[in-house]
Amino acid sequence: MLPWNYGFEWNAAHIIFLGAFYTVLVVVATTVVSALIRARRDLGAKETEAIRWHSDFEELPVSDRVCRHVLTGEFRERTCPNAFDCRHCETHGKWIEHHPMAQHPEFEEDVLGMAFPLDRFYHRGHTWARPEEDGTVTVGIDELGERLLGVPDAVELPAPGARIQTNGTAFRVHKRDADVRILSPVDGEVIETGGPGRGWYLRVKPDATGEPAFRHLLRGAEVKAWLNREMERLQLALVSEGAAPTLADGGVPVDDIAASYPEADWDAVCGEMFLE
Amino acid sequence: MDKQFITRGVQRCSTGKFLSWMLPWAVLLAFGLLSAGLCLIKGLNQTNMDNRFAFGLWIFLDLTVIALGAGAFFTGFLLYILKVKELRAVINSAVVIGLVCYSGAVCVLAVDVGQPLRAWFTFWYPNVHSMLTEVTFCISCYLTVLMIEYLPIVLKNRQLREVPSFLLFEHELHKLVYVLAGVGTFLSFFHQGSLGGLYGVLRGRPFAFREGLAVWPSTFFLFILSAAAVGPSFILLTTWLVEKISRKRLVRPEVFRLLGRISGLLLAVYTLAKSVDTLIWINRTSPESGFAAWQYYSWKPFGTWILFAEIVLFGLLPALILLTPRLRLHTGWLVSAAALACFGVALNRFVMTVQTLALPTLSFDPFLSYFPSWQEVGTFLAVVAYGVLVYSFSFRYFNLFPEERELKLQMAAQEEEAALAGRY
Amino acid sequence: MKRYGMSIDLDRCNGCGACMVACAVENNIPATPENSNDRKGITWIRVYKIDNKEQFPDRRSAFVPVLCQQCGHETPCVHVCPQQAVDVDPATGIVGQMPERCLGCRYCMAACPYHARYFNWWDPKWPAGMEKALNPDVAPRMRGVVEKCNFCHGRWHAAKERAAIAGKREIDPADYVPACVEACPTGALRFGDLNDPAVEVARDAKTPESFRLLEKLGTEPKIYYRSEREWVREIANAPRPGKENVRG
Repeated sequence: MLPWNYGFEWNAAHIIFLGAFYTVLVVVATTVVSALIRARRDLGAKETEAIRWHSDFEELPVSDRVCRHVLTGEFRERTCPNAFDCRHCETHGKWIEHHPMAQHPEFEEDVLGMAFPLDRFYHRGHTWARPEEDGTVTVGIDELGERLLGVPDAVELPAPGARIQTNGTAFRVHKRDADVRILSPVDGEVIETGGPGRGWYLRVKPDATGEPAFRHLLRGAEVKAWLNREMERLQLALVSEGAAPTLADGGVPVDDIAASYPEADWDAVCGEMFLE
Repeated sequence: MDKQFITRGVQRCSTGKFLSWMLPWAVLLAFGLLSAGLCLIKGLNQTNMDNRFAFGLWIFLDLTVIALGAGAFFTGFLLYILKVKELRAVINSAVVIGLVCYSGAVCVLAVDVGQPLRAWFTFWYPNVHSMLTEVTFCISCYLTVLMIEYLPIVLKNRQLREVPSFLLFEHELHKLVYVLAGVGTFLSFFHQGSLGGLYGVLRGRPFAFREGLAVWPSTFFLFILSAAAVGPSFILLTTWLVEKISRKRLVRPEVFRLLGRISGLLLAVYTLAKSVDTLIWINRTSPESGFAAWQYYSWKPFGTWILFAEIVLFGLLPALILLTPRLRLHTGWLVSAAALACFGVALNRFVMTVQTLALPTLSFDPFLSYFPSWQEVGTFLAVVAYGVLVYSFSFRYFNLFPEERELKLQMAAQEEEAALAGRY
Repeated sequence: MKRYGMSIDLDRCNGCGACMVACAVENNIPATPENSNDRKGITWIRVYKIDNKEQFPDRRSAFVPVLCQQCGHETPCVHVCPQQAVDVDPATGIVGQMPERCLGCRYCMAACPYHARYFNWWDPKWPAGMEKALNPDVAPRMRGVVEKCNFCHGRWHAAKERAAIAGKREIDPADYVPACVEACPTGALRFGDLNDPAVEVARDAKTPESFRLLEKLGTEPKIYYRSEREWVREIANAPRPGKENVRG
């Protein structure tokens, strides 16, 4: 093992053999230690949420990772390469330069019997972000999300002063056996917290303002296309999580969808819909 | 009851049912630990090994189990180094199987040696001319690598993932997984080979003795080839078994077929190499030691049928089945061929241990027979039970089959379509 | 540079087994428990019976003592031991075993073509009273290690001490005689330095009736057997299955 041990000689066999052994040990130890160091660094740099989201995103089925432009029919086929963060997407940037979105005159959009006001932007994890006049942003769960959760059993909101990141955890909701994390639509600092009864959940002082800060969120004509797809996804999720096959051919989801499907794995359904 | 520990979106049986599945295996493990304990406390006289049969059931099964566990390194090599993306579906399961096989083999070895507490002597005073030294070093290193590869699977458990440091460590480790895969391949290549290399110095056993290239006898390469060939087969077999027991679809059929094709290809190469090696052995190596090859097979019950069985029945036949695209489309053929291949490797390891020792070397020696004692069988059953327990636990609480969720959704979509079609 | 070896005259060996007993007493071989078979006992030297496979009245027998052949070339057990617990002493040519370092993996036992290595399947235990006959110059071995004939190494050490006391550089050949050689009543076993042409053993080794077991394996054993009988010399070769060898 070591030069002073019985039987050790400085010959080719010993050098090659023990050299290979020590090399392997060093390589393996280096790998583990560098992973530890990098993890420590990530922890310090508060990369946890970003890394968690990227990891969760990779595990979504391919069909759930379609680009927003496929939803609207603008592209035929494209899997999002940026984990739904269109702010850094070149393709999206170029597209909206050449195809600015038409403004809708109506104040509210009624999609499948659910209200989707157009004064706010929608996150694909079923939250909305509404910029207020005083520069803050209000964050809430959209109508489909609220119907999925019904009256939540419990909500874990962040404390005022806490930071939230786009696609990171905004807050957690419990309903029946579901324990889901709701994704944040914006980067910023939490100023005030609301709750299920107040119509909104968080008031946030955003890091960035203006159009680029909300580029990654859905708005206007995209919402209906996205919602239709989401209803299909919900249907599929319900069937695969134990609900009896039903045919959603134009029906409106009820106020408390969970109550209608007591046998379904609600945790899995919510996980699917809220993109966790 | 323990749903929060189970991966979201996949279904596992109730906790009670799980415990009732685990219980008999735990009992078997307890019995096996008792047997092993007897051997450790009272000595190896508890076995039926003796001065002529210095290696018995344990060594034979160790060699087999290590060859079957080769799927772990080989799948890792194919996925992370050669970028065969489809194998992502089975890599986690392969790592668990590898871990179970190697840790089980090491535990049995600890019971098999006369003085287990002296195991570190091999590291302190290594004999670099002995292949067994090489095996010891490589297997210890590789077991460490497997444990490190198992860590991310554990850390991705639904609850453990919530701990930020675990999440981040898993993420960073996974970024470097190709290093571990490379090291694992390097180590496995050498220890699978060295297990075959054991026969390069066994001049005293002309039945098993082979010559080759420098210090590496032909069995070095044959063992690597057979391990690489049977690794994917064993993964195929176990995945199919797990699908049957859990009654779930876990991987796409294409993955099964790919595993079958890889296995078939390597098995064909192995069968060819083995045939060539056998011919060389019959015509040159054995006669040069003063032993005519035919006479080994005159001692009953080891007639030439065993050679035929090993090479043709359990080598060529499964290779041909797995290489035929039409047959690969049917799971029945795939699984049967995989089982034949695994059995063939077990037979090869048996021939190289038990048959080798049974045959006389001195002219006034008789043919010897050996049958394991219940303590030996019990110790080995402990390994099987341990394997099932660890795998079952991992299957329940960790995400061993990443495609399971997608397949579930696919099946739901098909059900919907069928319902729609049925309605109109 | 000595090369200690033996010459065994198979025409003189009458199978009395005195060598086996003397070896066991000299080397503190433990008694094998009652319920074991003959393949688990430790017999550093063991006498086998062979016959010429003829029927009465042409049937003849012979006895072959087999001990560690002290292989001189590519010694199989030295090559395979993972801990270097076996080595060939360059000064004497004796293949030595270190029981304290032996792990008990038994690879050497698989490697030895002469089956001259034995494993301690039990803790060594002597029946009450027998411990008084133990040899104080030889260490007993523990359970789980391999042991074999080492040409009564304790006696070699004793001979060296005597030579040192007498102020001589070389040991007196008469001082160093293994127990089995000493005990043999017919003088079938002869021991000596094969390198020394003056020694009987060296001369015996070169006669045409001399042979070694399994010479084709290339291990260069230092135990020479000799017999005037052709059929006895046949045993040097590899086994050929006769009707008796075939089971069933």
